[in-house]
Amino acid sequence: MERTVMVVPEAGLHARPASKLVQTANRFDAEVSIGRADDGAGSGADNGLVPANSMLSVTGLNVAHGESVRVVADGPEAADALDAIADLLTTPVEEGEAEDGGDDE
Amino acid sequence: MRTLAGVGSTPLTGIGTARWYDSAEDLSLPDEPDPEAVDPAAERERFADARTTAREAIRLARDRAADRVGEEEATVFDAHEAFLDDPGLIDDIEAAIDEGTPAERAVDDRFGDAIVQFEGMEGRMAERADDLRDVRDRLLRVLLDVDTVDLSTLPPGTVLLAERLTPSDTASLDPDAVAGIATATGGRTSHAAIIARSLSIPAVVGVGDALRAVSDGETVLVDGEAGELVVDPDETRRAAIDDEETEVVRDRVTTADGRAVEVAANVGSEPELAPASDRGADGIGLFRTEFLFLDRESQPDEDEQYEAVTAALERFPDDRVVVRTLDVGGDKDVPYLDLPTETNPFLGRRGIRLSLGEHADLFETQLRALLRAAASDVGGDLAVMFPMVTRIKEVTDAVATVESVATDLEAEGVDHAIPELGAMIETPAAASMADALGDRLDFLSIGTNDLTQYVMAVDRENDALSEYHDPLHPAVLRTIHRTTTAAADADAWVGMCGEMAGDPALTELLVGLGLDELSMSAVTVPAVKKRVREVDVNEARELADAALACETRAEVRELLEE
Repeated sequence: MERTVMVVPEAGLHARPASKLVQTANRFDAEVSIGRADDGAGSGADNGLVPANSMLSVTGLNVAHGESVRVVADGPEAADALDAIADLLTTPVEEGEAEDGGDDE
Repeated sequence: MRTLAGVGSTPLTGIGTARWYDSAEDLSLPDEPDPEAVDPAAERERFADARTTAREAIRLARDRAADRVGEEEATVFDAHEAFLDDPGLIDDIEAAIDEGTPAERAVDDRFGDAIVQFEGMEGRMAERADDLRDVRDRLLRVLLDVDTVDLSTLPPGTVLLAERLTPSDTASLDPDAVAGIATATGGRTSHAAIIARSLSIPAVVGVGDALRAVSDGETVLVDGEAGELVVDPDETRRAAIDDEETEVVRDRVTTADGRAVEVAANVGSEPELAPASDRGADGIGLFRTEFLFLDRESQPDEDEQYEAVTAALERFPDDRVVVRTLDVGGDKDVPYLDLPTETNPFLGRRGIRLSLGEHADLFETQLRALLRAAASDVGGDLAVMFPMVTRIKEVTDAVATVESVATDLEAEGVDHAIPELGAMIETPAAASMADALGDRLDFLSIGTNDLTQYVMAVDRENDALSEYHDPLHPAVLRTIHRTTTAAADADAWVGMCGEMAGDPALTELLVGLGLDELSMSAVTVPAVKKRVREVDVNEARELADAALACETRAEVRELLEE
């Protein structure tokens, strides 16, 4: 399943919003990929999509605020993953969510 | 004994054993072996072990940086860890290993590709290339078993030599162990140099290629006042160190002929409060509030801000604490504030522009905390200043906001007072309008780092143009003078809180230019106080007049050396 959303955070898919996206993508039992909405046709086998769990790929997209992205998810928790990611990308300022993978020992 | 000239950055002197901190250019790979001879299983394990070691080092560096310098400098390490965990990179590296590539070469190739890709992009993307380089180097050092210089655990008495140091490198240094720093590149207003100063580490920057001739293990003396690196110093030179420690002056100081000059400290985090008072600062001339907002998920509430400001006031019961309202944007990012991505952030939405626009709520909350702190009886006097002012309307709007916040607090029956209000003079526009600003405000404070950047139209981090970034250019001195004159005419006091204020070699000039207050890194307070006491105001004015008449920076420098 997939969804197309406009990236609302003014920073676009850069440093902090990008790492949030990576974290969120990793949280679900689903394979999530993301790309520019208008890259859908004819840009090779991957249709311009990159894995959403890769910081390198996500920041490499260089998506700016106001651009639309296509999010594709596949797996048992695909629907939940899409909800969470759409939520993240359409919220101007991320609030709460202090988790960082529980590595604070 | 050999003496190498550079630029003094932290005006302290230290002596110790030279130790090179090498960047990855020196991490040369062994020749590629026959793929058949490579054991992929063993190489995969080496790679996994290297990641574990690198992760531990990154987390340690993060914690130490947060502890010693502040959360702002620590956040860079979070990005490093995210890249270390990138599944795409890991898969590619493991695939290369399976084809018979040794781990170090696989790491170097794949990170290299990613770095090239990011370097081709603009702005923030280029910074990601630096992050990737840093992570690659950590992995390569482990894989190549290169004697890793762990910056945070250097042995006591180390003088660190480097081509350049990043702010994160500098932030991870242990000030008790590092006797000094010398770098081949960089200027004294780079972020790394400022961090070294806030850690009181003697530093000389911009030594140039000559630095390469110094070897590990040599005894070197870093003289951050003279801007010299002395290799194998003689007895005279060594003995001079002990005499150099400037005595802390607790009292307020006046010039030799009796004019009062306040010598205050710049403070950017709570741990810096104690060293500031220990070094005899007459209060705080620049209290940066950004640290309250950094590395967290949401903005600090009013009470938390109130507590932080009253803690500063308590530390200086008889002095003034000048708080700068939130100054983000430019090069200072706060992730949850969702700051705009701009092609030219230094000319974009930052400082008061955000406080009167997108961040009006945040500005009001901060002002509520400040007005309450102004009424508290815990300590010294509070003053509040607005950053990045360019227009009179910004000041009238900001003052109107202060008044409306006061009205709200009154209606709620909350104790409050309106503190002294001032503007930062960081832009040519503000300096031009200093008379009108002075009429509307109690004080002006000249931020020379940004002012120099904007007057000279030069990026302060650009090493290639470091000659431009010098407040001794007559254009900058005249802009300062215009401000001090206008402030005096308007009966507003005028201070300076840039790096220029902390250079004892410039104290006489600054007194002559009419500054009432100088605010600086705490480490330079004793030396500047000592210098103020020697100054004669009339001579200082003559010096200032002569400097203002100069046409070139070289003439000004020559004048100061006479």
